Amino acid sequence: MLPFIDEILRYDSLSIVGLEKNTGKTECLKYVLDRLPVQHKRIAVTSIGIDGETVDQVTRTQKPEIVLREGMYFGTSEMHYRQRRLVSELIDVSDETTSLGRVVTARALTTGKILLSGPSSATSLRRWMSEMHRLDIDLVIIDGALSRMSSASPAVSQSMILATGAAYSANMSTLVSKTAHVVDLVNLPLTSEDNIRRLLPLEKGVWFIDKQGNLNSLDAVTSLSKDIHFEGMENCETLYVAGALVDGFLEKVRKNRSLKQVELVVRDFTKIFVTPQQFRLFIKAGGRVRVLQRSKLIAVTVNPTSPSGYVLDSDTLCNKLSEAIQLPVYDLIKNNQ
Amino acid sequence: MQLKNVIESPCGLRFMLDELELQSGFARRWLLDSPMMTSDGEIAASYAVLHRFADFIDRVDNIHINTLSNKLCGLKDIRTTIKNLKHSSVLDDIELFEVKHLAILATDVKKLLDQHQMDGVVEIPALDEVITILDPDGMKIATFYIYDSYCAQLKDLRSQMRQHPDQQDDLLLQASELEEGVRRDLSSQLAPFATAIEQAQLALARIDVCMAKAMQMRRMGLTFPDISTDGVSRYEAMFHPQVKAALATRGRAFQPVNISYGMEPTLITGANMGGKTVVLKTLTLCQLLFQFGFGIPAAQARIAVKDEIYFCIGDEQSVEKGLSSFAAEMKNIDAVIKASRMNKKLLALIDEPARTTNPTEGAALVSALLDVLAGKDMSLVMTTHYDIEPGNARCLRVKGFENGTMDYQLVEVQDGEVPHEALNIAQSLGIDSEWITLARKRLDVTAASTVDYKH
Repeated sequence: MLPFIDEILRYDSLSIVGLEKNTGKTECLKYVLDRLPVQHKRIAVTSIGIDGETVDQVTRTQKPEIVLREGMYFGTSEMHYRQRRLVSELIDVSDETTSLGRVVTARALTTGKILLSGPSSATSLRRWMSEMHRLDIDLVIIDGALSRMSSASPAVSQSMILATGAAYSANMSTLVSKTAHVVDLVNLPLTSEDNIRRLLPLEKGVWFIDKQGNLNSLDAVTSLSKDIHFEGMENCETLYVAGALVDGFLEKVRKNRSLKQVELVVRDFTKIFVTPQQFRLFIKAGGRVRVLQRSKLIAVTVNPTSPSGYVLDSDTLCNKLSEAIQLPVYDLIKNNQ
Repeated sequence: MQLKNVIESPCGLRFMLDELELQSGFARRWLLDSPMMTSDGEIAASYAVLHRFADFIDRVDNIHINTLSNKLCGLKDIRTTIKNLKHSSVLDDIELFEVKHLAILATDVKKLLDQHQMDGVVEIPALDEVITILDPDGMKIATFYIYDSYCAQLKDLRSQMRQHPDQQDDLLLQASELEEGVRRDLSSQLAPFATAIEQAQLALARIDVCMAKAMQMRRMGLTFPDISTDGVSRYEAMFHPQVKAALATRGRAFQPVNISYGMEPTLITGANMGGKTVVLKTLTLCQLLFQFGFGIPAAQARIAVKDEIYFCIGDEQSVEKGLSSFAAEMKNIDAVIKASRMNKKLLALIDEPARTTNPTEGAALVSALLDVLAGKDMSLVMTTHYDIEPGNARCLRVKGFENGTMDYQLVEVQDGEVPHEALNIAQSLGIDSEWITLARKRLDVTAASTVDYKH
């Protein structure tokens, strides 16, 4: 058993996040599912995002079904439930509808194959997870997609594995630095508990907390707005962006003298859409970025093969990346052979 | 008329709905689709049921209330499935699961209510046979699959699957044919229960709604109304929950009012900011709450049942519809007049009609409106700032501005004379003194030159 299986079992939830299609996220999920001790742990699996097709529409590569083992719980859409290739017992049918129907929860009674497509909003994902924990599930696994379209974020899980690879960049040093940037974002520290309690319910807009502790809304609807102004904010202590954080906004905060000491808070790393350069500039200038929810990054997996067939050297990649991020890096496909 | 048609009424009905803590989305849809009750008997019966639930939440331990609420949370909208069952379609696993889930839920709720002397308050059909069909192993849990015990051959195939995973696809294919046979069988066994299942679903929605209404009554201090049979509606210490809540956030209290009206027109006059519009809003709200069977925001209420309720208020949205505020208002009041000739019991609440036009024509329109509506089978409550001859109308006046505070109580007066307090009130609001002083001077000049000026 590779060491990270042990570590996974220390948390009640795990998300597996691919930085790009074909970076080996599904292989990683399979790898984990094959090795978890189902005999004495109750495991539930779902997927966020609506990538429902058996063939990936973008790259035309085969999108594999997941093999579930007897006893595992899973959440998927009605449509995919009807196409299941295993015997399973229905536990729940949710009220929420996705484009593929309602989300159903079931337990596998035989080993077999299923396509996963679960809750697509932040609220429904959170509800599904707490429902699973109510059923005494020990570990909830989320097949996580990074998507601007879906509000469901993998950062709600306690732990995380990132899948990266040649599909993300075919140039090794670019791949290493781009991946390291994401790892930096995943590892961003949490803001204070008080801030989390107050800001977590705010799902849109830009807000700030002043030195007296008052929460104020900034009239800009999102941080994407072009003409955002920070007037009368000399008193600002915490600046919270509920939606996407983009370059333009970060630059404005950095260049604003009155915001020198401010703590910039975002929901979680999936909401940060800034270039590594802009992010570095901000940190160098003394800026602080904090998050409302974060997962403990357990490991990074790599797929050195790109969909176009280009292959990077697996060992070199693992070593370089591991050095850059100070975390274990695995090539699961190679290790599996 | 259904509740959903009046939910956006400017009287503030939406607030009451938003404050209703329903457990299931299905109950909310059912409630919004429910028709307005227009008969004494129907309303009395609905309050009798609500009385039982109010009593239930008062006397029964919170643990049981929470258990019931949690159970009702699981109520799903399975109308499509029920329809399929009625049409003798073969249900799939998800639909069979839904039926089983509902049957167990209904049985559990029935048992819980029966234990607390609530049997028969809302009739829940017995679905034990449905459960037996879908729970061949007697597990009594609300999960479902095509159980091994339905078919020995299926059981055999599945154990082969576990032993020979390599042949799974082939075995699954064989099993799926057997499963389909079981589903066909189950569906035809269940078909005779379709109506009972449908009734159970509606009963659970009704229980959810009654529980939520009863809780809301306790939380907001609402009362059970009496049904008036003499056409007179009477409220003691009536309040508007939304306005009350808004005032409370600013640390202020709502002053409840007493009011009654009968079949003769009632005219309310009073100073600006005297709460006349709030009174009309509250009367409208109370009437709607009454005819949809909710608790009434008052210490005591005795309400007459109406066929139709009209609330005419200056409507800002009329501009969006391309009508001037005057045109929109005229059309609304026109609808009241037309309805008054249709031989129906009406309640019309009209806020300052013709306020946006000149006082000469405005006063004429209001007086004439009183004449047109007099003697019709209707209750009319109207506010105005115009000095008009009340005729047969009963006149109520807001006590008004005294010693720097507003007294919102209504007192009965003998004529429709309107108070002249606008300038005092404007002054107390800190409005520009040059403006107010000039206005006073003009009044004095007019008063000096007019013999019959009223004080």
